Amino acid sequence: MNLREVVEGEKQVDHEEFLSELKEKNQELNFMREITQESNTGELNGIPFIAKDAICTEDTTTSAGSQILENYQPVFDATVIERLKESGASFYGKTQQDEFGFGTFSTNCAFGTPKNPHDKERVVGGSSGGAGAVVAAMDKPLISLGESTGGSITNPAAYNGVVGITPTYGRVSRYGLVDYANSLDKIGVLARTVYGTAKGLEIIAGEDENDQTTSSKEVPNYSENLDETEGRVAVPKQYLELDGVEEGVMENFQDSIDELKQRGFEVEEVDMPLLSADIAVPAYYVLAMSEASTNLAKMSGMRYGMEKDPEDFEDFNEYFSEVRSEGFGEEAKRRILLGTYTRQAGYRDQYYIKAAKVRTKIINQYKEVFEEFDAVISPSMPNIAPKIEEAEDMSPSEIYAMDTLTVGPNLAGMPMISVPNGKSEGMPTGLHIVGDHFNEQKILDIAYTYTGGDSQ
Amino acid sequence: MSEEETDVMIGLETHIQLDTETKLFCGCPNEEAEEPNTHVCPTCLGHPGSKPRLNKKVLEHAVKTSQALQCDVNEEVFFSRKTYFYPDLSKDYQITQYEVPVAEDGEVEIKVGDEKKDIGITRLHIEEDPAKTRHKGGDIGNSDYTLVDYNRSGTPLLEIVTEPDFTSPKEARAYLQQLAQMLEYLEIYYPESNFALKSDANISIDGGQRVEVKNITGTAGIEKALSYEISRQKQLKKRGREVSQQTRSYNQNQEITEKLREKETEEDYGYIFDPDLTTQELDEEFREKLRAEIPELPHEKFKRFKEEYGLKDKLVEALVSVPEMADDFERLAEEFDTNLAASWMVGELKKVLNYNEVSYDEVNVESGAPDFLYVGLRVVLSHLEAGEFNQRKAEKYLRDFVEQGLDPEKEFSIDDPKADNIDLGLNLKDYKKSGDDEITEFVKEAIDENPDAVEDYNSGDEEAVNFLVGQVMSISQGKADPKTAREKILEELE
Ligand SMILES: [Zn+2]
Repeated sequence: MNLREVVEGEKQVDHEEFLSELKEKNQELNFMREITQESNTGELNGIPFIAKDAICTEDTTTSAGSQILENYQPVFDATVIERLKESGASFYGKTQQDEFGFGTFSTNCAFGTPKNPHDKERVVGGSSGGAGAVVAAMDKPLISLGESTGGSITNPAAYNGVVGITPTYGRVSRYGLVDYANSLDKIGVLARTVYGTAKGLEIIAGEDENDQTTSSKEVPNYSENLDETEGRVAVPKQYLELDGVEEGVMENFQDSIDELKQRGFEVEEVDMPLLSADIAVPAYYVLAMSEASTNLAKMSGMRYGMEKDPEDFEDFNEYFSEVRSEGFGEEAKRRILLGTYTRQAGYRDQYYIKAAKVRTKIINQYKEVFEEFDAVISPSMPNIAPKIEEAEDMSPSEIYAMDTLTVGPNLAGMPMISVPNGKSEGMPTGLHIVGDHFNEQKILDIAYTYTGGDSQ
Repeated sequence: MSEEETDVMIGLETHIQLDTETKLFCGCPNEEAEEPNTHVCPTCLGHPGSKPRLNKKVLEHAVKTSQALQCDVNEEVFFSRKTYFYPDLSKDYQITQYEVPVAEDGEVEIKVGDEKKDIGITRLHIEEDPAKTRHKGGDIGNSDYTLVDYNRSGTPLLEIVTEPDFTSPKEARAYLQQLAQMLEYLEIYYPESNFALKSDANISIDGGQRVEVKNITGTAGIEKALSYEISRQKQLKKRGREVSQQTRSYNQNQEITEKLREKETEEDYGYIFDPDLTTQELDEEFREKLRAEIPELPHEKFKRFKEEYGLKDKLVEALVSVPEMADDFERLAEEFDTNLAASWMVGELKKVLNYNEVSYDEVNVESGAPDFLYVGLRVVLSHLEAGEFNQRKAEKYLRDFVEQGLDPEKEFSIDDPKADNIDLGLNLKDYKKSGDDEITEFVKEAIDENPDAVEDYNSGDEEAVNFLVGQVMSISQGKADPKTAREKILEELE
């Protein structure tokens, strides 16, 4: 049974069965932060949906993977949650994630590390790891909401062998998203099929008066417009020359290129110097950490989340320090410190302002390429999901380097989709298709064509 | 030695709380609430996932004020985050403008006594007010605990920063008074409202270290705070001690400044662009529309009144100080002697208003008729000019009129202010001088009823006339003019 069959009314979801399978799989893989059941009726006919823990859900725990927000229950639903509920989708809970989205493997979760459904010894990817794993683990139609700042939807989609779409920045409201880096955060959809991501996206996308950065551009009916297509795709030379891309991943990517050519696409190499590892990645981290350090300031034990007995402290500075020292994980502290440094007077121009300029240049470089091409393609991740202990042994700089393929399009706010393109060592790999701003339909069509249309 | 002889440099950063319907970044009502923490929502409480959305009205106020201060308005403005930890700050960062404020490089002319002076405006920007803290059992240093009320969190503020152009507390006060008056003309600020005007001042003497005095409320406070601070610094110098770079606060109760912290380095707020708020375009069309809405400003009105009506400076100043009063004056000046109208408005009416502790605008609003005072003044002035009111009665009429207010049941309109039938709830007859014929009647009555007094007069007792005058006054219930009465009595007795 796939999602289209449920939407079109041919089949129905058995909610009891879904819930028991969800609980059972979660026992084994720990991808859920909290399981709940809330039924709705409407166009989506009770299709189950699940959300990353950073997306606010009224009265259901929203901790963003952090101890400092353990047991925090928001007083409102995020706009995306509200829209899915109104469409008739049924809410089943929240998924594990790296604390505040800080991570590549979902090994920085305050509430346990989720395991990959393809191999329990391996990671699910990050930071929307739980959101990817639940789709792979459940043999049922499901819309899973993820969030990407630098690649957090693409990454778990590839590691779990599912489809994940990250929309254009401003296409989907961020109202109710526990912020990581507001100028980069995008809520997107993970599902088993291209159709599933298209359906989910068309429901959550569109202008929202509660988020000024949302676009007023009309939202196409992505799922109904899905069409076999052809055109021209570009492969950045910098990605082909990238260090550390595993052989199996590169082979699958070459196969994908052949497959696309067979289906009528022209594939060409292009030069995109700003996507090289030493430019895009530092610019991304400077901006993301600068914004994150201001967002996390509000986590001080004053109004919600972790609290202490004020009697035990000399003054509010001491109180805030204690709550933050205990509540934040190691990676969060690292990013707060670095982010505070990069926006400090004296360093600001050198780091924060410079990174913002690099970002503008990267956008311009993409724009030039999109004058000639319909999409830019690459492997989704340079490797297959590593083993959990391998991931935990990596240094922060090794981990940051793994984001090279995804941070470029994320910095530019471009829409992108990751689709499974085979396996390596028994683990799934992904093909990354990046499109021009607000051109989600095009990348969905290419992904649809690549995966064989309606057969998926 | 007077203050002006010392090399004093003062710059002001003034925050004006704007009386908008909703807060700066959310839909909460921007007004006092009976209970703490009632006018709040996820956004002004800084809940995770909440987002600010700009109240565009504030942008209009800011641009109008900038234009009135002759600033250059920037075409594209955006907001920044100023990060610092303090319990009253809901997000632990404040949304403000840093790189590009609404406007820069303005100028305003102030008048202190007969002297005029130009004060440079460095910048004008928009920011949000934090919440209110209440320290229980003391001040922040020694209280038992602190309560936070977020009703104020997110109230819109305009911050106006001047160049260090003031050389005396008097100048600073004059500037604030004139600024407040200008804002009132722009319908942005109302002195009667609960919305405050607060300043931080930077003061240095003889090119010494700069001391910042924070949180000075109002226009009277600024003169006291600055005078204290200047004499404190002078005393230190006199005794050969150094004035250190400090941040101080103004203690309004004791009228002194107190040290908050020694300022070795500038605080580092780590400003970044606020990525939740989009860039705002203040294009030519928008600016033009607002420029057209700017009324004649107080200093312009002052100049015109002087030229057009030839009144004394003091009278014009007083008239111009209340925009509504200035407008009413102009209407009255079309019908009546300008000096008479002005002196009644600035003199007698002001006395009555002060006595009742109400303002010109308030009386009009409370009466339910926007022209209430204008009509009352027309009645007074027309009867005075016609010689039908004497000074004392006219004053009484004005007082009764203001204090009694309007009867809401009655129609409120007049075409002819002198018509006896206009009904403002007061009986005009009670205030008018009595007519000659009427007095003759009273005189006859007094003479008829007091034959003894007539006899006394005839026997040479001239004092008896005074008694008869008293009787006329009593019969007429005080309406008769005593001088006329005496003349008539003498005529009758001859
Ligand atoms: Zn609010």
